[in-house]
Amino acid sequence: MLEIDNLVAGYGAVPVLHEVSIKLGAGEAIGLLGANNAGKTTLINALSGMVTPMSGRILFEGQDVTHLSPKRRVELGIVQVPEGRMIFPEMSIRENLLLGGINARARPKRPHRIDEVLELFPRLKERLSQHAGTLSGGEQQMLAIGRGLMAEAKLLMLDEPSLGLSPLFVQYIFEIIDRLHAAGLTILLVEQNLMLTLRHAQRCYVLERGHIAVEGSAEHVRDDPRTRSAYLGL
Amino acid sequence: MIELWQAMAQGVLIGSTYGLLALGMGLVYGVSGVVNFSHGDFISLGMFMCLALYSALSLDPYVSAIITVPVMTVIGALVYRYLIRPMVGHQFLMVVQLTLGLSLVLQNGILMVFGGQPARTPSMVDSKLIILGDVVLRVPHVIAFVVSFALAIGLFVMLRSTDFGRSIRAVHQNAHAAALMGIDVSRVQVLTFALGIGILAIAAALLLPGTPIQPTQGLRYTVITLLVVVLGGMTNFVGIMLGGLIIGIAEAFGTIYLSETLGALMPYMIFVVIMLFRPQGLTWRSPR
Amino acid sequence: MRQEFYQTLRSPVLWGGLAIAALLPFVLTSYYLNIVILALVYVALASSWNIVGGMAGQISMAHSLFIGVGAMFSTALLIKLGINMWLGMLISAAIAGALGAIIAWIDFRFQLGHLSFVLITLAFAEMGGIIVEGWDFLGGASGLMLPRDTGNFVAFQFGGGRGAFWVMLVLATLCVIVNIAILNAPLGYYLRSIRDNEKAAQAIGVNVLRYKVVAMVISAMLASIVGTAYVRYLTFADPYLLVSPVITIEIVLFATVGGLGRAFGPALGALLLVPLGEILRGKLGGTLPGLHYFIYGIVVIAVILATPRGLLSLLESLWMRWRGRATVKL
Repeated sequence: MLEIDNLVAGYGAVPVLHEVSIKLGAGEAIGLLGANNAGKTTLINALSGMVTPMSGRILFEGQDVTHLSPKRRVELGIVQVPEGRMIFPEMSIRENLLLGGINARARPKRPHRIDEVLELFPRLKERLSQHAGTLSGGEQQMLAIGRGLMAEAKLLMLDEPSLGLSPLFVQYIFEIIDRLHAAGLTILLVEQNLMLTLRHAQRCYVLERGHIAVEGSAEHVRDDPRTRSAYLGL
Repeated sequence: MIELWQAMAQGVLIGSTYGLLALGMGLVYGVSGVVNFSHGDFISLGMFMCLALYSALSLDPYVSAIITVPVMTVIGALVYRYLIRPMVGHQFLMVVQLTLGLSLVLQNGILMVFGGQPARTPSMVDSKLIILGDVVLRVPHVIAFVVSFALAIGLFVMLRSTDFGRSIRAVHQNAHAAALMGIDVSRVQVLTFALGIGILAIAAALLLPGTPIQPTQGLRYTVITLLVVVLGGMTNFVGIMLGGLIIGIAEAFGTIYLSETLGALMPYMIFVVIMLFRPQGLTWRSPR
Repeated sequence: MRQEFYQTLRSPVLWGGLAIAALLPFVLTSYYLNIVILALVYVALASSWNIVGGMAGQISMAHSLFIGVGAMFSTALLIKLGINMWLGMLISAAIAGALGAIIAWIDFRFQLGHLSFVLITLAFAEMGGIIVEGWDFLGGASGLMLPRDTGNFVAFQFGGGRGAFWVMLVLATLCVIVNIAILNAPLGYYLRSIRDNEKAAQAIGVNVLRYKVVAMVISAMLASIVGTAYVRYLTFADPYLLVSPVITIEIVLFATVGGLGRAFGPALGALLLVPLGEILRGKLGGTLPGLHYFIYGIVVIAVILATPRGLLSLLESLWMRWRGRATVKL
């Protein structure tokens, strides 16, 4: 479904990603791992069209999307749940969700979809008119994921969903992610938390300073010594 | 005592239009971080367009608004697209200077076409008055009040209940996240600016009847709008409308009780007093 | 004080350039000489504003107050009280400095946001204009006429064109050198830290109040001194010219377009735009009213679109490309 081909991307004149190649099949759940500044968020932003590649290609469902606008990518089904949630603080939960479904493909299904999302996250249903900025971290994460689902995602990319959450919430969120995956959604999970990701992703890539250091099944990545050294910067 | 009510009434009437002007500026600032210092000169442009339409086709200003509003909206979109968008991300003051250059162009363009003499544009409602007790209200002011308030409410509803309005608020609150939702941030910015200029065209038609106009008046309107916008906390809807009323009332009190020149200073004074003791302006928990 | 300061002061390019500039009165007609003098006045004024607006990041519209004090007050002291204009210049500078200190204090004390500060200083500038126009001692609305310039240097007279040019050249150079000095001294660091993030600067112990005041006082005193010299050259103290916010708007334009916060930025902006404006006015001013400003406005827009980071940045990148150097400092 998704094919990243020798991608070189960065900010200004400085490349952060060096010839990164990744493949993702429909229905898979893939983990993207790495230490803090390995380039994970840059990669996700390149997939969303927020970072323009310097060279390389991105193919989605066979189509070359490398130079498409962020708007077009969302319309195609490439949806990001950003790091830090980035919910709209001065809008209600309901408004945040409505905005999630604002793209042309999702809009007709919005009234229906919003009910589904609220069934999935009953906690959000309780506080529908509350301002998102007053929610706890975990509730914001639910909202962010709910927003991503409103967009009729074909590929849902989550950037560090466990960041700043209590273990209970992390477990809850990842149960939801598993459920979504089981229902057929393709998932790209970006995480620093190694063990957590290995439990929920079938295959993984480990980024180290902009290069793919390790790739393979979850077990393979777990056992490969290069994974540890990538994290410790050795 | 009568003067007090007269001043209050006049202030409220004109203040609502000031609020409307400032809403346009606040929206643009919230969405693109740009403060347009040729704001007042666009009002001038709208007014002089009405004057031209009157001279050519004998159209009443309220009627010519039907033409000037779309035309100005398109001009606004073009100005944003070609002059302001290239500057987004650059130094704030540099963008301001560009808008000041634009101000010179507009002001002097009008001067070249219309000459520098003050001109009046008659309207059928010009000299009509409404008398409430001892207070005399001029019909153009009342119309301005009603339309401004109606538009303000319309804007409020648009922002809260339409997707476009939500997009505007989303871009203001987090442009990156808005882009991730599939919102075309750039398009929202152009449209918001164009909307702002369209609002100015309406305000121009409202302010025109009974007022002699000159090419150099733009700066005065720009400063008044700035006072209102900053007083209102830049992007706070209720704060801005309230600021408009306060500035309008201050101006009315100033001109009625003091001289013309000192009266023009009253809005400044009120502004200084309020901002010194409440630097965040008239904001409070009003959703934006 | 950083080495760069002394190096710049010793630079042969600087002194060579100044020496050549000093010869200009001998080759220019009085029309063009007047334009250059005007440009130098604005170089000085824009550079003085740069200290507060560019380096410290406080966009003050109150500059016309300082210029006005320097111009109107010293003139009034001369004409109404017979006080020598050199002394009058110093007294006015002191008053301007005091006014500046008060404004800076207000800025700090009330934690004013940038746009608020712009509008509040604008309010003060308008007030100043109204006060001057209403106060007979300062000439009221009709202004004050200075005694004829007979070149008596002791009486603060420069002898018209050439003398005025050299005086303005000295003042402009002085203001730019003050800029260079500040940028290479600890004060420059403090000011820029305040500009970039006032709260952070305060948190790490920078005395924000003191440095805002210092910057404003230096800026105000320089502007006042230039105001005094300028009014002597004009021979007529016109309140509408000298105490109006319009003069500040022009100064800010030159400083921004040239390069905000840089030592030579405002000079560059003024040296480009003042002659442009004057020549446009000369060639087109009579024909169609407004035409010259119309074109001036278009040029300003074009220049800004072409060099959004300022003329100085453009020159620097051109220089870098020509020389292949890593960095260059102007």
